[in-house]
Amino acid sequence: MAEDSNVYYTEGLPVPETPAPGDKPAFWKQTDVVGKRIPRVDAYERVSGTAVYPSDIKLPNMVYGAILRCPHPHAKVKKVDASRAKTMPGVRAVITGVSPKVKGLNWKYRNYTGPLFDSHCRFEGEVVAAVAADTRYQAWDAAHAIEVAYEVLPYVADYKEALSESAPKVHDGGNLAGMDEYERGDISRGFAEADAVLEETYETPCQIHTPMELHGCVANWDGDRLTIWESSQGVYAVQSNVAEVLGIPLSKVRVIGHYMGGGFGSKLKPGKYTVLASLLAKQAARPVKMILTREETYLCVGNRPANTMRLKAGVKSDGTLTAFEFECIGPSGAYPGGGTALVDWLVRDLYKCDNVRCRSKDVYINAGTARPFRAPGHPQGSWALEQMMDALAEKIGMNPVKLRLKNIPAISQGRSEPYTTTGLKACIERGAQQFGWKNALKRAKEQNQSASHIKRGVGMGACVWYVGGGGPPSTVIIKLFRDGSVNLNMGASDIGTGTKTVMALVTAEELGVKPEVIQIEHADTGTTQYATPSGGSKTVPTESPTVRNAAIDVKRQILEMAAEDLDVRTAELDYEGTEIVWRKDKSKRIRVTDVGRLKKRGVVVGVGYRGPNPRTKTVNPFGAQFCEVEVNTKTGEMRVLRFLGAHDSGRVLDRLTYDNQVFGGIVMGIGFGMTEFRQLDGKQTGKLCNRNWHDYKLPTALDVPVDMESLPIEIDDPEANNTGTKGLGEPVTIPTASAIANALYMATGIRFTNAPVSPMGMCRRLAARKEG
Amino acid sequence: MLPQFSYVRPETLKDTVKHLSAGGAAIHAGGTDLLGCLRDGIMDVDKVVSLSALHDLRGVKETADGGLIIGALTTITEVSENPMILKKYPCLAQGASEVASPQLRNQGTLGGNLCQKPRCWYYRGEFNCLRKGGDICYALGGEHQFHAIFGHDRICIITHPSDTAPPLAALAAKVRTMGPDGKRTLPVETFHVLPRKNPQVETVLKPGEVITYIELPRPAGNMRSSYRKVRARRSWDFALAGAAIALEMDGDRVIDGRVVLSGAAPVPWRAQSVENAIRGKTLDDATIKRAAQAVAEGADPLPENTYKLDLFKGVIEEELNAVR
Amino acid sequence: MCSEHRDNEGTGKQGMTRRGFMQIMGTGAVGASLSGAAMAAGSKPEPPAKILDATDTVKINLNINGVNHAVLVEPRWTLLYVLRETIGLTGTKEGCGRGECGACTVLIDDIPRYACMTLAVEAESRRITTVEGLMMGEELGPVQTAFLEEDAFQCGYCTSGQMMAVEGLLRKTLKPSMDKIRRGVSGNLCRCGAYNHIFRAASRAAGLKTK
Ligand SMILES: Cc1cc2nc3c(=O)[nH]c(=O)nc-3n(C[C@H](O)[C@H](O)[C@H](O)COP(=O)(O)OP(=O)(O)OC[C@H]3O[C@@H](n4cnc5c(N)ncnc54)[C@H](O)[C@@H]3O)c2cc1C
Ligand code: SF4
Ligand code: FES
Ligand code: FES
Repeated sequence: MAEDSNVYYTEGLPVPETPAPGDKPAFWKQTDVVGKRIPRVDAYERVSGTAVYPSDIKLPNMVYGAILRCPHPHAKVKKVDASRAKTMPGVRAVITGVSPKVKGLNWKYRNYTGPLFDSHCRFEGEVVAAVAADTRYQAWDAAHAIEVAYEVLPYVADYKEALSESAPKVHDGGNLAGMDEYERGDISRGFAEADAVLEETYETPCQIHTPMELHGCVANWDGDRLTIWESSQGVYAVQSNVAEVLGIPLSKVRVIGHYMGGGFGSKLKPGKYTVLASLLAKQAARPVKMILTREETYLCVGNRPANTMRLKAGVKSDGTLTAFEFECIGPSGAYPGGGTALVDWLVRDLYKCDNVRCRSKDVYINAGTARPFRAPGHPQGSWALEQMMDALAEKIGMNPVKLRLKNIPAISQGRSEPYTTTGLKACIERGAQQFGWKNALKRAKEQNQSASHIKRGVGMGACVWYVGGGGPPSTVIIKLFRDGSVNLNMGASDIGTGTKTVMALVTAEELGVKPEVIQIEHADTGTTQYATPSGGSKTVPTESPTVRNAAIDVKRQILEMAAEDLDVRTAELDYEGTEIVWRKDKSKRIRVTDVGRLKKRGVVVGVGYRGPNPRTKTVNPFGAQFCEVEVNTKTGEMRVLRFLGAHDSGRVLDRLTYDNQVFGGIVMGIGFGMTEFRQLDGKQTGKLCNRNWHDYKLPTALDVPVDMESLPIEIDDPEANNTGTKGLGEPVTIPTASAIANALYMATGIRFTNAPVSPMGMCRRLAARKEG
Repeated sequence: MLPQFSYVRPETLKDTVKHLSAGGAAIHAGGTDLLGCLRDGIMDVDKVVSLSALHDLRGVKETADGGLIIGALTTITEVSENPMILKKYPCLAQGASEVASPQLRNQGTLGGNLCQKPRCWYYRGEFNCLRKGGDICYALGGEHQFHAIFGHDRICIITHPSDTAPPLAALAAKVRTMGPDGKRTLPVETFHVLPRKNPQVETVLKPGEVITYIELPRPAGNMRSSYRKVRARRSWDFALAGAAIALEMDGDRVIDGRVVLSGAAPVPWRAQSVENAIRGKTLDDATIKRAAQAVAEGADPLPENTYKLDLFKGVIEEELNAVR
Repeated sequence: MCSEHRDNEGTGKQGMTRRGFMQIMGTGAVGASLSGAAMAAGSKPEPPAKILDATDTVKINLNINGVNHAVLVEPRWTLLYVLRETIGLTGTKEGCGRGECGACTVLIDDIPRYACMTLAVEAESRRITTVEGLMMGEELGPVQTAFLEEDAFQCGYCTSGQMMAVEGLLRKTLKPSMDKIRRGVSGNLCRCGAYNHIFRAASRAAGLKTK
């Protein structure tokens, strides 16, 4: 390396001051790397095809797993005969519910524990047997050659019927999975004070995550040590789950998940398939690759539950909200999965209202169990609340933007404590301005008065996300090598949000090192530090302050070491990126790479821990989205013309990945609002009708607008954490569908209380209007 | 996962027919539908007979009398981009361009598109329905919002999936076939089979019979044609409702013409009521309104797909406005 | 879905040798257009009826990214399976295995197709290009560079398919309009919803290619 220029550093880049030991780092007033549009640090691997995803792993001697699943929504397994399967070509291992190795193994759903192989199958897709064979094809052939005798039981598919007397019971204790009640103020007084009261029932569909990479893993034993490569949002979660099920020490389970092809909540935990792969691998004495088929992923790896919500709201003619009464029912599925979790949160927290009552009932049905899905509960609640807000505005003759601005809460009412910062007002105000709300409104009105059968509408929705502040625990290690290069070691997964990239930027900002020379080790329980799964929009606010702390720890150690070389006091030294400088006489300086103890030890290891969140304040991201749509009133076809997302998620770490998240959330919201729904054959068999990407429709490149804009609302939030960051990944999908529904209302004068609004639904409603 | 099958790729049509005569053999053209059917286990196939060595069956050629002849193995993309088709039979090019996705159009063939299996989610799913040899039609009493409103007789309510068959029928195209009994030429219009005839087959092809060419008659000099398709999403999706219109015009007046619907019935559905409403008429607002109303004649909608009545009205109205 | 029955009539199994199979498989030219003589179907001499048995594996040659690969395959193996699990070219991904996502998009004779919907035996003697084939040694090709620069992905799992769709589009159309671009990638789902950046990357790639 050249003497006078360290290739690993950006020369002349000012780095933040190093806080004294025990002191908190100062808030970054200005940043030099953070916040810019910087391509991902792992982009090369991802676009060259060299990134190895768990589904790409191939080990010597590896065989393939396949699972036989119960084809009935409710049945008891009477007999399993795998004798033919065992003799089929290539078969290396077969496991069924009566295999000795599976005795006593249990599987947990939240607070429910049952056998791993439960002969009482409560949903279509429950595991019945598993096979490993030389090729994926052979494994599949053999699994389906296993003969099973079922006693088919009556099922319940319709969650709205689940609590009726006559409904078949999913569990002996009945179909009520849980209830939740919340109340503040006095709603009857609130409704009495209102000038207008509206009440409406809304429904949202069951949405399936379907990340692009199939769920699955590769499992391999070395003696009693198990290594699993899993497509996962959190390797430590997989480790603890598998260790617990198999009854082996955590230290014996290594889980690796360097790359993964999307999860959206469905990969926060492993599945039974992970355990089955491990069991098959043991039995076959070979590594086993177990990748589910697309069809399987529609049945058994989670969903966003459908919800039916009744919302009654009171408003004064000046726009003051006086009361909300909210009731909700939704299905967990066959096991506890949070069928109504957080559906009422927006009603509780988003707009100022003194009198609120929320009640929800979570029920069991004979279908796959719900898992958290990007902003659990929120898009559903938003569908009800944001449409109601627009309806109220219309009722009292107020602009919907204004009604919302009128009701910005000063504190988090759901928690009775202040937010560290709230950008709700700024998101709505500045978003509306940037979107050109007034003009758009005018344009739409003009068009709708014309004779054209193409109608136009604009709509908006706002949101808060329940969490998004992150928090402990997290540990990160940064190693500074003697040549000045840096290694960042963290347990978090990068699920596509750009975690590795933004953490490299934080490191770069703090140390002055170039982001591209930072080597990142992550998502490996064997070699990286403990982290909670990437989800809940908490990865950035959890990990980035931890990374910063680790970088500061490195600087502190280097300063101490340099003090020896320069023979001055540590406290009088400044860390300036490439060099350490004596504050009293700037000519007294030493290059980091010349620091004696670093040269000798070869590396400095800095450790960062995630500090606590503010004790009496809540950290939440906010947002508002605006859209313009067109409706062909002859055919029911709709076109989303443009979208704008104004989001307050604290500091933007990388503008490129930030915008990408915003757009991605909007696309998913378009799916939720317009194309996606799980369809059960409720009346006849209870089986799933749409179990592929054709029958279950995701938005394509032709269903999303080219015109999308992201407007970050950056508000300094030094209290939240030391990087001032809040989560982004979930809020961006919360108000999308409701904004569309509001725009469709303006275009057609029809309130679409049931999501999704497909051309089928649009046609039905337009026809009904013609008749009515 | 695909089940096991044997595979052969004959180099002559004769050989192909011979291979197909054995039971359990299936034709593989582009394979885009066949492989999906095999994965879903909806047909018992133990031998796949590939047509891909039959190079002569690919390409578009003008006939002496000014018509066109399209090889059955011509890809959907080729059909959608062929200059002669674009010029003389725009509805066919449009239909082809609305099929599936770019990759599937690049691979799927015109012959395969005509012979593809229906997309009913019960049929493609794990339901042993009537069309698969079972006892009942699940869609009838179940989830049928995508299903047919015409011609189903409440036996099997699939809609015919093809976007090229309606334009071809509207253009009075014919299919040429070769089979164990020799060659046949059949109008596209009568190529598909209604459930009342046999709910377990989709076409009149006999075992071992292969489509070789599709023949398009010379269009009338003043032919206007167009295809329009409404669907739940803009790519990769079959028609909720669509219409191929091919009209012989004299200025504003319709001399004669055909209107064939997609997403309507178990076969490409000739909307004769619409044709009658416009034949000999000037395409003015009143005629178009009347024609649009007429499309619903003879419909037998089911509880979940009644919306299609209005949808078809809208499509016909837009289409007639587009060609006038 | 498993079929254990073997065909026993007319398969001519006894005469089957690998070389025999290669002979009937080894057709070279593609895309011959119709000729008058050919219209009279079946005029060529008939090769013996020979079938590749369902349980046999047969050696085929796949030309992938300019390199010839001799591989043993079963008739039912898809090109996708062979690329990923046999040859180890895992840049091409599987999202559905049923022609409904585009993650498996490869170019066959420069045209984008789904590798999951293509039997390996059908891909013989065709020119196959995968994402690995877009590389120029260690360097990214223009489409890859554009995807990198525009951050045209999140999880990256649909990305190689998207890039192959764009590559195919640009090999056909030098400067596609936004409309063409959107249609060009309309056979590739992105569940992460990175479409907007993908559109931009495609435009940028067009620029890089013509530079
Ligand atoms: C996800 C998806 C979406 C789709 N969307 C649409 C759509 O919107 N509109 C649309 O029209 N189509 C759609 N399709 C169908 C697609 O267009 C067809 O799969 C394709 O056209 C079939 O052509 P192929 O050559 O691949 O047929 P293959 O799969 O090879 O064959 C299909 C069937 O036809 C038979 N066959 C093929 N060629 C001949 C022949 N020459 N003579 C006799 N029989 C023959 C085969 O035995 C087989 O049963 C979609 C398909 C998929 C997978
Ligand atoms: S519509 Fe036809 S294919 Fe569908 S379930 Fe009924 S019989 Fe079967
Ligand atoms: S894997 Fe081929 S299209 Fe999905
Ligand atoms: S980047 Fe994840 S699916 Fe496209």
